Amino acid sequence: MEQSFKRSVNELQAIVAATGRFFSHSGTAESIRMAVDLAVEELFVNMVTYNLGTDHDILLQMQASPGGVTVSLTDYDVEPFDPSLAPHVDINAPLDQREPNGLGLYLVSKMVDSVHYAYRDRESKVTFVKTVRRADD
Amino acid sequence: MIEIAYGNDRQVVLRGRLDASQAERAQAFLDQVAPPCVLDLGALEYISSAGLGVLLKTHKRLMATGSGIQLINVNPHINDIFRYSGMDKLFSIVTSPHG
Repeated sequence: MEQSFKRSVNELQAIVAATGRFFSHSGTAESIRMAVDLAVEELFVNMVTYNLGTDHDILLQMQASPGGVTVSLTDYDVEPFDPSLAPHVDINAPLDQREPNGLGLYLVSKMVDSVHYAYRDRESKVTFVKTVRRADD
Repeated sequence: MIEIAYGNDRQVVLRGRLDASQAERAQAFLDQVAPPCVLDLGALEYISSAGLGVLLKTHKRLMATGSGIQLINVNPHINDIFRYSGMDKLFSIVTSPHG
């Protein structure tokens, strides 16, 4: 499955519909759906929020892989930004020091198996793999 | 989409998906809520960091008055998000056994 989306958080409903169709048609385990939706949202919103110098659509690709799914988001004509290099989030900080900023990419790192970043010819591509683990059952 | 409204005993019921596209609407509602604030998440299907930000901001506002938010009927999948984010240490959470 691949589909492009406009650079707006208002596209999230359409993105969820697309991931839902993928899960339904591919037979991928629903137990990992929330983690996949969350990772897609966080990466998509990050691109929309911080890659401001482009008006290109963002490409979402999903492919069934052994025991799960491989998902890529590609942003065009942008500067490089490797989400795995995002600032550390202290989840043990007291309330007055907690801010939601940066939490999204941290959650991605916790909820998927692996994240790979590639940048070439001003194309920024983030790929993650999510598989079913015992805890997901 | 997120539905947010008062339920029984002035509990605030959230139903649906609390994502980045719905955060502003949820925040506008919760900004009007006075303590004590109990959020029933039994029908909440999904929450992202944007939704966590809404709860965090509301909790901080209410803690300034002496009592933060309490989350009830939190299903295991949503509770995982709270645990991964460390929010489980900030909020009072009552979980639900239902997935």
